This record gives sequence, structure tokens and C-alpha cells, in this order.
Amino acid sequence: MTATPSLLDVKDIRKAYGAIRAVDGVSFSVRPGEIVGVIGPNGSGKTTLFNSILGQIRPTSGSVEFSGEDITGMSPLELARRGIGRTFQTLQVFGGLSVRDNLIAAAQEFSGTMPGRLFAKPDAGLGQRADEMIELFRLKHVAHLPAGSLSYGQQKLIDIAMAFMAAPRLVLLDEPCAGVNPGLVDQLRELLVQLNRTQGGSFVVIEHNMGFIMRLCPHVICMVEGKVLAEGKPAAVQSNPAVLEAYLGN
Amino acid sequence: MGDLVQLLVSGTATGAIYALAALGFTLLWQAAGVINFAQGEFVMLPAFAMLAGLAFGLPVWLAFLIACVLAAIVLGAGFKQVVVDPLIRHGVIPLVIATLGLAIAVKSTVRAGFSAEAHPLPSPFPTGQLSIAGINVSYADIGTLALAGAIVIGLQAFLNRTVTGRAMQAVAQNTESARVLGIDVRRMVLYVFLINAVLAVVAALLIAPTYLAKFDMGDSIGLKAFFAAIIGGFNQTRGALLGGVLIGVLENLVGFYISPAYKEGVALVLFLGVILLRPEGLLGKAEERKV
Repeated sequence: MTATPSLLDVKDIRKAYGAIRAVDGVSFSVRPGEIVGVIGPNGSGKTTLFNSILGQIRPTSGSVEFSGEDITGMSPLELARRGIGRTFQTLQVFGGLSVRDNLIAAAQEFSGTMPGRLFAKPDAGLGQRADEMIELFRLKHVAHLPAGSLSYGQQKLIDIAMAFMAAPRLVLLDEPCAGVNPGLVDQLRELLVQLNRTQGGSFVVIEHNMGFIMRLCPHVICMVEGKVLAEGKPAAVQSNPAVLEAYLGN
Repeated sequence: MGDLVQLLVSGTATGAIYALAALGFTLLWQAAGVINFAQGEFVMLPAFAMLAGLAFGLPVWLAFLIACVLAAIVLGAGFKQVVVDPLIRHGVIPLVIATLGLAIAVKSTVRAGFSAEAHPLPSPFPTGQLSIAGINVSYADIGTLALAGAIVIGLQAFLNRTVTGRAMQAVAQNTESARVLGIDVRRMVLYVFLINAVLAVVAALLIAPTYLAKFDMGDSIGLKAFFAAIIGGFNQTRGALLGGVLIGVLENLVGFYISPAYKEGVALVLFLGVILLRPEGLLGKAEERKV
């Protein structure tokens, strides 16, 4: 039996700022359709790892392959066009645009040519897709309001919906639960599970909310001081003494 | 009553020209974080380009179209490539100094090439007045309002109702997010520079027939456009329109009812009032920036 080829291969990524090694030799793989969780205390290098994968910073060494293609150091624009999306810790919605326009803006650059887009229909042929996402994320009642006028939780949902608008093959979610009302966390997890089932995309999720990540991710990586301390099934990682020590101290 | 209506119409027409230049200010600021203190000279240069075209026997409309193309190349793409791109990474201040220097250089060059005399540019609109119920309004004012209004409505429609316009708004509101979502930020910013250049040509076409083309004509319009943008709100295109029209109308009213001597001070007084009482501008929104 041959193993399923990886969608994402992170190989020995290192990122140093002077003497500080923010990411120190991290390797992992993500298979198509897989959800991988990344946990670790603050300052363990999780976001730096994301930024290295996503071309927002250039890693000091190591490589990133996506579907067998070396994408190390590619710009976010090039990565987006290859089907890689992301969300940030902080909100990234376009506050002056309506919720529906935010969603269309998130995917409108992925089809057609530049002159074609210049004269394309206002909804860029994405109106139906945007309406489906609005329905899925239960944002119908605010669809035509400026995103900036909504609550933090609603904006967070828009943020996540935007990352999925172009049906990416891989989405990296950086703390999707940060600042979200606890009542919304379960809804968010259900949405991600549903998107994973219906779209078949792969996710890598950074999160501090252990309950959320343990229930969402079949595979979890724990990072400490820029290195992978443990990885495996959520329960095994959670009960790993080294992980407990990293979180709780001696 | 008749005087008041005439003053309001002609003031709105002048204000619409300020608004076009102010619109360029706000678009450049929103999309690229650029404050262009050579904006007035960006209006002056096309006026002389059109004069040069007329000297070759071209009709006004053709001279205008050629000026648009030249402005898009030189004041749009060229300005971005040669001045903005190398300096923007060093922050706003070097760019402010560079555009101030550029303004002086452009003025000196035009004075050397065309003399310090004022040159009349033919109006694209017919001469004469339209009389309705004893109120006389010049065709030039009507034409100016119609053209400036059409440009503003067209631009708003482009920004709000097209794919590219939405992408430009997205870049202006959150550049990093736009980049991650695959929007070609560099191209959108280039479009803004091109739009600014064309707006400057339209402003030149509308203002030079009345105020004449002169090497230093940019001083006044550049300053008033800057004040208009601040008064209306630097981060709102609607604000630039309001600021421009407000200055144009109040200048006319003050000049007529108080004294023409105070006319030039109107924009400054409004500007100071807004800065003191509502620094984000009349329609602007307070925003935070990392420094």
C-alpha cells in the first residue's frame, strides 16, 4: 500500500533573529484533507512558523513544499494563487466594505485575466458562492452592513469565511478562537469540521484553546522554544509530561 | 437672492475643481500612504501640456486626451516608479520633502520654458450665460459642474461597483490582508496613481481657462486641495468632495459679502477650525497608525 502523498511538507525550517532562534528545525507534513493543530506557550514560535510557511518572512534555512513544489519564500500573492489561504490572530476584514463584498473581494483575484477583471461584473461571478458562505456562517442578517460596524465575533467569522471563499486546498488559521465569545467557539469548530468535510481542504490551526483544538484536530504538534516538543494524537500530546511541564512549569 | 444663487453655483463649480485635486490627495494617501505636496504642480503641468498641444494646432479635446496619456505616464507611473517607490520604505517624511522639492523643480523648469507670464487656455465650454428667472449662470460653471460631477460619480461607481474598484478599496483599508487574499497590491496602487494623474488633467482643463496657466498656479490649487482633503477627512473620498465644495462656496460668499481681500484666507481659517475641533475631518474617521 502506498502512502498518500503530502499536501504540505515543512522541512527543517529555521528562522533566527540574531542569536534568537524563533523557529529551530521544525518539520512536519499535512496530508490532503487533514487537520493539524499547533499548540505551544506564548513565544514558542508558532506564528513565526506560519509566517515562514506563508512567505511573510523568509526562513533562515529549510524548505516548504506544497504538492511537491518548492514554495519557500514565495510571496503571499503567489501562494494565494496556488490555493493557500490564511487567517491572522488579529482581525483582517475590510471594515468599509459590506460583509458580502468582503467575501467577494477575498476570492475575486483567482479567476480571469487582469483586463477581464477590470470590466468584470461587480460580483465577479462569486455572488452565489458568497451567499452560500454567508448562509453557512449565519451572517445573512448582516450581509449588507459594513464589516467594521459588526461585533468582534461576527468580524472573526467573516475573517474565517474569507479565507475559505476561494476554496483553498490549504488554510492556516492563526488563533481562530482568540477574542471570540465562548458561546461561539463550538459553532466555529462545527463550521470548520463542515468545511473540511464539504470542501476537502487541509487546515493547520494554531490555538491556545485546548478544548477546541483537541476536539478539532486528529493530529497535534506542540512547539516549545522554536522546536517540536511532541506530536501525535491529541490525547497523547496532552498527557505528555514534557508538554505539561512546558505549559505548567515544574 | 439672485446674487446668492449665482455665488453658490460658481462657488460650487470652483469647489468641484478643488475637490478633484483633493480626491487625488485622499486616494494616494489611502492606497499608498503618500502625501503629494507637488499635487498643485500636477495640475499645472497638464495645463502647459495642453497649451503646447494647442500651439501645434490641436483642438482642445485632443490636447486634453494627449495630456491625459502623458500625465498617466509621467505623473502617474513615472512619479510612482521614480519618486515614491524608492522613498516610501523610509517613511512619510522623506517623501514629503521629496515632493516639496519636486514642486519647486517643476515650477522652475516651467518658468524657464514658458516664461513667468500667465497663458490663457481656451475653455472647453461655450461662452455666455444661461438666464433662468433672472438668475444668470455661466455655461462655463454649468460645464465645470457637469464634468466634475460626472468624473466624481464615475469614479465612485468604479470604486464601489467594479471588481477592480473593490480591490482598490480593499488595498486602501487593509494592505496586508489584501496581499494575503491574492490581490495584486502593486497593481492596485499603480491604478490609484494613474487615476490621480488623470484627475489632475481634468482639474487643469477646468481651472486654467479662468485662472490662467502660470508656472505658480499650482501653489494655490495644491494648498486648497490639501486643505479640502483635511477639512473633509483625509481618509474619506466623500470628505474631499465636501471640503472642496465648502472652500469654493465660502470663498465666493466671503469675497462678495465681506471683502475679496479675505477670500484667500477662507481655506486656511476652515482648515484651522477643523484641525482644532475635529481633527479627523468633517466626514473622516479617527484612525490609529503604528509609528
